[in-house]
Amino acid sequence: MTEPRKTVMTVEEELEGDLGTKRMIVNFGPQHPATHGTLRNIIELDGERVIKLEPEIGYLHSGFEKISEYRTYNQTVTVTDRMNYLSPLCNNVGFSLAVEEMMGIKATPRCAAIRVALCELSRIADHILSVGLQAMDLGAFTVMLWTFIEREQLYDIFENVTGARLTTSYTRVGGLLRDVPPDFEEMVRKFMVKCSKTIDEIEGVLNGNRIFIDRTVGVSPVPRDVAISFGLTGPLLRACGVPYDVRKARPYSGYENYQFELITEEKGDAWSRYRLRVREMRESLKIIDQVLKAMPGGPIYVDDPRIVIPPKTAMNTPGGGMEGLIYHFKNYMMGHGVCPPKGEVYSCTEAPNGELGFYLVSDGTQRPYRWRVRPPSLYSYQAFPYMTEGGLLSDVVAVMSSLNIIAGELDR
Amino acid sequence: MGLESMLPDGVLTSRIEALVNWGRKNSLWPMPFGTACCAIELMGTLSSRYDLARFGAEVIRFSPRQADLMIVSGRIALKMMPVLLKIWEQMPEPKWCISMGACASCGGIFDNYAMIQGIDRFIPVDVYIPGCPPRPESVIDAVMEIQKKVERESLKQRA
Amino acid sequence: MDPIEAVKTTFADQVLGTGAHAGQPWVDVKRDRIADILKMLRDDGGYDMLTDLTAVDYLNQGMAERFAVVYNLYSVKDNVRTRVKAWVPESDPTIDSASSLYRSAPWAEREVWDLMGITFKGHPGLKRLMLPENYEGHPLRKDYPLTGRGERMNFPRYIP
Repeated sequence: MTEPRKTVMTVEEELEGDLGTKRMIVNFGPQHPATHGTLRNIIELDGERVIKLEPEIGYLHSGFEKISEYRTYNQTVTVTDRMNYLSPLCNNVGFSLAVEEMMGIKATPRCAAIRVALCELSRIADHILSVGLQAMDLGAFTVMLWTFIEREQLYDIFENVTGARLTTSYTRVGGLLRDVPPDFEEMVRKFMVKCSKTIDEIEGVLNGNRIFIDRTVGVSPVPRDVAISFGLTGPLLRACGVPYDVRKARPYSGYENYQFELITEEKGDAWSRYRLRVREMRESLKIIDQVLKAMPGGPIYVDDPRIVIPPKTAMNTPGGGMEGLIYHFKNYMMGHGVCPPKGEVYSCTEAPNGELGFYLVSDGTQRPYRWRVRPPSLYSYQAFPYMTEGGLLSDVVAVMSSLNIIAGELDR
Repeated sequence: MGLESMLPDGVLTSRIEALVNWGRKNSLWPMPFGTACCAIELMGTLSSRYDLARFGAEVIRFSPRQADLMIVSGRIALKMMPVLLKIWEQMPEPKWCISMGACASCGGIFDNYAMIQGIDRFIPVDVYIPGCPPRPESVIDAVMEIQKKVERESLKQRA
Repeated sequence: MDPIEAVKTTFADQVLGTGAHAGQPWVDVKRDRIADILKMLRDDGGYDMLTDLTAVDYLNQGMAERFAVVYNLYSVKDNVRTRVKAWVPESDPTIDSASSLYRSAPWAEREVWDLMGITFKGHPGLKRLMLPENYEGHPLRKDYPLTGRGERMNFPRYIP
């Protein structure tokens, strides 16, 4: 300001002149209703416009990678539940597939089909909650309550199959904890009918809603090459128009046998991500339908006694007792059991948030030498400053809820 | 309320105590300090199937200055502990704390360099809920325990 | 274009060896010209996505050096993956940063600095990511104890 400010000004003078404003630094802190988990953003504002946004993470760092070096491979499955806690079965399946790839074994067809069905159910659980939270952050609280009802139905199914609502720890190396109960198909079919209706209701509320559209259309569009350079994967990348889905690019667990479309959207803004998640949920329902129709019979465990413990009847009956007992003993003693050969592998699956990668280094013992998780949320959140700088403060909330950041996976 | 420290114990204060405690226990305003998986189960408790609003906890206050029950749900890492302390200090009396889940109560499965082995080392906890994560019914049971605890309190304790 | 062959022909003096396991090959290189190698793979090889950047601590495993910084690269249009491992000695744990080449590198490198202690030259802002600023030590190294050195007890107790 070079000249003293006039105390009486006309409207035109006031709008043109310099009002002597100052930039403000606001802490969108780790404890806040609109941050999904423990994230901190330090935002420098000029009025309502975001000049600079600096994210800070690490408020949930639990040392996952270090503790798994002290656990065997099957014990690490319990740790993978706690990463992306909205869809824990996807993490379990991804980890077991990584270890199986390192050992060069392939799961049985029935095991693969059950894994696909549960992965897709988890995907619906994650996407539906993500849509619900996106709507809640923008004001539509009822949508979140509807989505929680659907999640409760899914929790009933998961509890029936795995024994736990949230922290399932269902898969093992070479198989699963146990086979699905006989009423699995009936429960899933009932759920599919209800879920389809709920998705219709959610679309009915949000698709034509002026407020929702105004707050999400055109907010934070990301061009293709920037998205690829940032390492974005999953719904965020597909919303920019890049047709990359690990289920199609590197099919695992029998995904090549099912027909489903690879959904992409054009602009890469918050609206596209919402539309993509809703459409992906419908595709997941189609996949589950195909899996249930074509569910093969047979064993769920790989026929390898070094990895899979024998059933109890093989140990307790007088006829076939000793051999089963020896295999069981050897499996659990130090230095035996699931011991992948020395080497390393990078295996990825399509988690609801993106490409969930596991980089495993083995030194030939029962415990992983190094277990690295490639979290999709870390790379999504890294692109957050790019998406929000230059926009308004209220867009920060709209963008954050469309990214679906899970703090457990981000910080590990 | 400084008045309470001046009033003698007796019939008069016990009726006021009963009234005040009845009011407090039926309108506990929780502040969910949710960090990880337990927060999702807490959100499930607050939604339609296991409605926590029936117990007066309708108003979920994310501002600590307006809440009186802090539910710590989830694991607390090294970086988050100063935040938790600050939020706890910002809550005005009377206040209670529920430690939900194994990680908040004792560190859970994470016995390593980065996890606080139980928040009760640093802040006073009233009710612990075991489980990983605890079922919503356990959370409701814990809120009911807090209600019983509030009922038994005397006004002098919170002066 | 086979990335391993391309790296072996263009940067023959940098290659320490190759390896493969479960059908996934990788190439071991020295750390001196890692930025040029990655640039060649990005521009000529079409590996436009750095899927993951991490480090492994091979303490007492009989390897050439102690640390290996691992770059997992992916080409979106060709749908191929490759892996480059750069070996970093314990006495001088520094390596060039890939932040100028891939926008996904900065935070991954901060995490490697935080947990493993490898410095990245040319990084726009190398500070701790997961642990508090005043934390001492690099926990993911093999000689760091699992339960830490007492930091998790080091907070004041609330006095009402």
